[in-house]
Amino acid sequence: MDVTVSVNGEQHRLDIEPRRTLADALREDLGLTGTHLGCEHGVCGACTVLVDGEPARACLMFAVQADGCSVTTVEGLAGDDGTLHPVQEAFVAHHGLQCGFCTPGMLISALHLLETDPDPSRETIRAEMSGNICRCTGYTGIVDAVEAASSTMRDASRPPDRP
Amino acid sequence: MKCAPFEYVRAGSVAEAVTVLRDTDGEGKILAGGQSLVPILALRMARPAVLVDVNRIPDLDGVARNDGSVRIGALTRHSALVAQTEHPLLAEAARWIGHAAIRTRGTAGGSIAHADPAAELPAVAVGCGATVHVAGPAGERSVPATELFVGALMTGLGEDEMITGLDLPVPARWGFAEFARRHGDFALVTAVVAEIEGEIRVTVGGAAPVPVRASRAEAVLAAGGPAAEAGRAAAEDLRPTGDLHGSADYRRAIAGEMVRRALAQAGVGTGAN
Amino acid sequence: MSDAEDTAGAGGTGSLGRSVRRKEDRRLVTGHGRFVSDLQLPRMRHVAFVRSPMGHARITGVDTAAAVDAGYRVFTGADFAGVVLRARSALPSYVETDQPVLAWGKVRFAGEPVAAVVAGDRYRAEDACELVEVDYDPLPATVCAWAAPQVPVHAAAPDNVLLERRFEAGSVEAAFAAAAVVVERELVTNRHAGNPMECRAGVALWDAAERKLTFWSGTQVPHIVRNMLAELLDLPEGNVRVIAPDVGGGFGVKAVLYPEDVALCLIARGMPGVPVKWVEDRVEHLAAATHARDHRYLISAGFASDGALLGVQADVSCNVGAYSVYPWTAGIEPLMAGGLLSGPYRLDNYRCTVRGVATNTAPSGPYRGVARPASVFAMETVLDAAARELGLSGVDIRRRNLIRPQDIPYTMPSRLVDDSGHYGACLDAALEALGYEQWRAEQARRRAEGGAPIGIGFAVYNELTGLGRAASAGPRMPFRTGHDACTVRVNPDGKVTVFSGVTSQGQGLETTVAQIVADGLGVGYDEVEVRIGDTDTSLWGFGAFSSRQAVIGGGAAHRSAVAVRDKVLALAAGLLEAAVEDLRIEGGQIRVVGEPTPRLSVAEVARVAYLESNRLPAGIEPGLEATQFYDPVRGAFAAGAQAAAVEVDRTTGELRILSYVCVEDAGRVMHPQIVDGQIAGSIAQGIGGALYEHLVYDEDGNLSTGTLLDYLMPTSAEIPELTIGHLARPAANPLGVRGVGEGGTLGPNAVLAGALGDALGVAVDTLPITPATVWSLMRGQEAGS
Repeated sequence: MDVTVSVNGEQHRLDIEPRRTLADALREDLGLTGTHLGCEHGVCGACTVLVDGEPARACLMFAVQADGCSVTTVEGLAGDDGTLHPVQEAFVAHHGLQCGFCTPGMLISALHLLETDPDPSRETIRAEMSGNICRCTGYTGIVDAVEAASSTMRDASRPPDRP
Repeated sequence: MKCAPFEYVRAGSVAEAVTVLRDTDGEGKILAGGQSLVPILALRMARPAVLVDVNRIPDLDGVARNDGSVRIGALTRHSALVAQTEHPLLAEAARWIGHAAIRTRGTAGGSIAHADPAAELPAVAVGCGATVHVAGPAGERSVPATELFVGALMTGLGEDEMITGLDLPVPARWGFAEFARRHGDFALVTAVVAEIEGEIRVTVGGAAPVPVRASRAEAVLAAGGPAAEAGRAAAEDLRPTGDLHGSADYRRAIAGEMVRRALAQAGVGTGAN
Repeated sequence: MSDAEDTAGAGGTGSLGRSVRRKEDRRLVTGHGRFVSDLQLPRMRHVAFVRSPMGHARITGVDTAAAVDAGYRVFTGADFAGVVLRARSALPSYVETDQPVLAWGKVRFAGEPVAAVVAGDRYRAEDACELVEVDYDPLPATVCAWAAPQVPVHAAAPDNVLLERRFEAGSVEAAFAAAAVVVERELVTNRHAGNPMECRAGVALWDAAERKLTFWSGTQVPHIVRNMLAELLDLPEGNVRVIAPDVGGGFGVKAVLYPEDVALCLIARGMPGVPVKWVEDRVEHLAAATHARDHRYLISAGFASDGALLGVQADVSCNVGAYSVYPWTAGIEPLMAGGLLSGPYRLDNYRCTVRGVATNTAPSGPYRGVARPASVFAMETVLDAAARELGLSGVDIRRRNLIRPQDIPYTMPSRLVDDSGHYGACLDAALEALGYEQWRAEQARRRAEGGAPIGIGFAVYNELTGLGRAASAGPRMPFRTGHDACTVRVNPDGKVTVFSGVTSQGQGLETTVAQIVADGLGVGYDEVEVRIGDTDTSLWGFGAFSSRQAVIGGGAAHRSAVAVRDKVLALAAGLLEAAVEDLRIEGGQIRVVGEPTPRLSVAEVARVAYLESNRLPAGIEPGLEATQFYDPVRGAFAAGAQAAAVEVDRTTGELRILSYVCVEDAGRVMHPQIVDGQIAGSIAQGIGGALYEHLVYDEDGNLSTGTLLDYLMPTSAEIPELTIGHLARPAANPLGVRGVGEGGTLGPNAVLAGALGDALGVAVDTLPITPATVWSLMRGQEAGS
C-alpha cells in the first residue's frame, strides 16, 4: 500500500505491507532507529512517538494508519544546529538515562506531559510517566530531569526570554 | 511478535465498514484504536483476514449532552473522555485507562466492543445503564449495555456489526474506585456507583466475566443501610475466580472495599442520605 | 541524589569524583545510539526460532517440508547436533550436562528453540515458523526444585540435582545446644529476571575469504563469547570478532552465551556473505532468557539471650532450570547462596548444604545480586525472628552481630575474607537518614490512636565486588575472571583513544574509563575517547558481572594511563633536557615543577613520538601507547545498609513505601551521578522483585506470566523517592574503588518483608509480597487470634 507520512517535518512516500507497524516502518524503512521496541505489545512505552502531536505507541499502530499524518520521533527533538531540546538536555544533566534504550519513549512522553502540564509536581511526573518502563535508573534521574526540564521550559516561555 | 498478513480496508463510512465486514464472512475485524487488538494480532492469537480501519469515518467521535445523558461517538478517544466535563463519572473512569499514549488512541466504542471484564468503560456503561448503538448491514439497532456483554471478551454483536456510539445517562451522584497492581494496569476490580433517576446503581467490574450489578448492595442502600454494609453485601454476591493476582476470596474482599470507597466518593450510604 | 550542578564537561584535570557529562548521552538522547537491533547490512536476512510449546516432551518428528517448499531456509536440531553447550566445573559433585543448540530428542522447557528459519524479514520469518510442524510426545514436567522428579530432566542426573555442596565451620550442634533461642523458618523466594528493556539481539556474518566470523551481540561479555564461539565452532580465536555496541541493559541476563547465539553463528557459516539477524521479542525473552531467584531456604539459627548469633544451619535449594547455564554452570546461585548467607554477621558455627536442581523451566543464570537478594532475606528474617523472641529491637540484634572494623580481615565461615567491616557505620547512617526514631514514634502513635499500621525494616549486607584471581575461584570453572586489559594510545595529534576490555549496558563505562585515563595521564576529559565492546580492538576483558569493572577494568585503565604518562614524561624530559622527576602533566600541558608556565604540550610530545623521530631522545621508541592488565587478586567487599518505613492498607493489603534509604560504601566515588544511578536502579529492581515481579509456571511447565501484562515491572509510580547516602572508605586497589552495581538489589526483599512483619506482627515466608499475600497474612492473623 502507498503511504505518505511526514516524519520530523520531512515527507516520505512508502509502499508498505499493511501489517507493518509504524515502529518497524520508522526503524527499518526510514532508518530512524531511535524509536525502540521493548515489548511490541503496548506495555513498555519505548516506541512512543507523537502522531499529529499526540503520543502513541508506534508498535500498536500500523504504518498505513499514519497515512497523511505528521509523526515526531526522538530524531526530531534537537534543533537543526544540534542544540538539544530542553528535555534532552535535562535528561543528560540529571542522569535520566543509563543504557538509553527506554530514553526515546521517555523523552517523547516527557515532552507531551510538559506540553499539557507545564508545572507538574514530582508525584504527577511519576504518575504520568508510568507508561514508560525504565529498567536502569530506578526513575530518580528521570523524575529529576522532567522536573528540571519543566522549569527550563517555563523560563523559556516567559515573554522577556522569548527570542 | 509480528502480525500475520491481513488485507487492510480503510472504511469511509459506517455503511462501507459493515458491508466489508459482511463480505468477509466472519474473517473481518474492526480496527479502531488498536490498543487491545494489535497486541493480540502481534501475538498471533487472532488472525483476521481483513482489518476494517474505522478511524477515518467522519462524525463518529465527540461527546454531546442530550437531556439526561451524553451521546458518545464510538471513535471518541479516551483522552477526550477525560477532557470532557459533561459526564464527570466518565471522565474519572477514563483517567484510569492505561497511560497517556494509550488514551490518545483507544476509543470508547473499541473498549465496549472488546468487553474486557476488567476494563473501565464496560463497567461505567453497565453502571449508568447505557444504551449502545450498533450498525449492521440490516440497519441500526440499540442494545442496553446490560445485555450487550455476554462473557469475558464476548458481546452480542454480530460479526458484521459495529458500535457507532452510546448514550450514557449522567448520574446525579457518582463514585468510581479501582484497584490495580500498578498505575495504569487493568483493574483487579472496579466499582461504579451511579445515581440514575433516583436509583442508586452499584456495579462491579473485574470480578465476573462481565460487569455485574451488585443487587444486594443496592438493596442494602435502598433500605438506608451504610456503605460498609453495602460493600460487604456486594462482596458476598460475587463469585469471582482466583488468578495470579489473588484468590477468589481476595478479589471478593477488595470488591467490597472498592464498592465502599465508590459509595463514599458518591456520598451514598454515609448515613446522611 | 548527588547534586546535578557539576555536570558540565570538565575541561581540565581532575575529572574523577565529579559528575562530568557522560560520553554516551548525546547519541542516546538524540536517537543515534547503535544497538544491535538497529544494524542494517546489505543482503541481511532475519532469523526466527520455532520454540517448544511444552515444558517436557519427546520430539517425535520435525517436518520442515512446508516451510522449505515456501522458500525458507530451515535448520533443526539434527543440523547442529554436533555442537553442544557444556558448562564445565571441577567441583566434585557437579554433574555435567549438555545443552543443545536446537533441541533434538526432547525438549526440556517451554520456549526452548527447536528449529530456526531464515527469511527476508522478521514478519516472514514468523510466517515460516508457523509452517514448521513439530510432533511432541509429552512427558511429565517438574517445575519445582523441591518436588520429587517424575522423569529426570537429564538422564545423567536421575534426582535432577546437578550440584550439591556443603559449607561447614565449627559445630552447629554445640551452638544450638548453648542457644537461648533457635529460630527455624522455611522461606521461598520468587522466580524473576533481569528483563533489560532491550531484549537479546545478534547479527552474525561469515566472511568466507578470511574464514572469519563477525558476531554483533548485545552481550555483557564479548571476549568470553569470542573464546567460547571459537571453541564451539572450531575456529582460530583470531578469526572470531565479537562486537557489543550500545546494549540496552543487561543485569546478568546478557552475560550468558545462549544456544540462539550459537545457532545464529552456525547459520551464518552456512550462508557466507549473508548477515543473519535475530532480534528477540519480549515473549521469547520472558520464556527463554535466563531466570533467577527461585530458591527455598530451610534455615535455623541459634542465638544467645543477648542476641549473639551462635550458629546457622541451612539447606538451600535453587531451581536452576532446564540447563546448567553456559558457561557459569548450575553452581552460580547455590554457591553464592552458601558462600554469602552469613553476610556481614560474625559467625563461627555454620553448616549449609546448597544444591542446584534441574527442572523443566527456563535456565537460571546470573542476575544482578546473584542469589543474595534471597540469602540476605533469609538471614535478615532469622535475625528479626530472634529479636522478636528475645525482646530485642531489630537494630540492636544487628549491631550485636555485625563484623566490625576491628575484626578485619574477617574470615567468614565460608572462608571468604571480608576486608570492609563498615557495616555498623552504614546502618547508623541509614537509620539517621531514615529518621528512625521519628518513625518509631509515629508507629507508636498510630498503634495507640489508630491509623494505617506502619512498619520499619532493615537489611545489612556485604557485596563481594571486583573479584581477583583468588576470589573468583568459587565455581571452579575452566577460567578465572580476575583481570582485564586496557590500551591507552596517545594519537599523533595528542588526543587520546582508549581501547578498553570493559563493556557497558548503561553503566557509563566510556565515561568512567575516560575519567580514569584523563586523570591518570594528565589530560582533559574531553580529549579522551573510549572504544569498548569490540574484541578486535581491545586486548582482553571478561566483561560486566560481579560488580567488577570499575575495580578491575578501571584499574587496568589507570595502570595503562600511568604507563603512557611515564613515557610522555620520559620523552619530554629528553626534549627539555630536564629530570623526569621534575616534570608534571596537567590538562595536557607539561610543566617543570616550580615554573609558572608549561614548557610543552602532550600534543607536541605526541608529534615527536610519531612524526619527528629525528627529535626522539636516545633510547626511546616511537609511539605513545601502553597496554596493561590489572588483577586485584582478592576482592573488595562493599558494605551496605538499607532501611524503610512502610504503611499497610488493611482493607486491600497494599503496602506503601513511605521512606526508603540506602547507605553504601562505594569506596572512592568516581562519578557521583553514575554511582547513585547504579544504586537507585538496583534498589528499584530489588523492589520489583520484592513486590511485583514473579515468573510463574503451571504444573505442566507452561509460563503463566508470558507477557508484560502479567510480568509486572515497577514503573515511576511504584518506585518511591530514594534517599542514598555514602560512606567513602577507599579500598585497597589503585583507584580505591569498590563495586556498586549490585548491592541495591540485595536489600529490598529483607527490608520490605521485615517492615511488613514489624507493622503487622506477621511472618513473611514467601515472596513476592503482593496485596493478596498481605491480605491473606492479615486474615490468617485474624483467624488465629
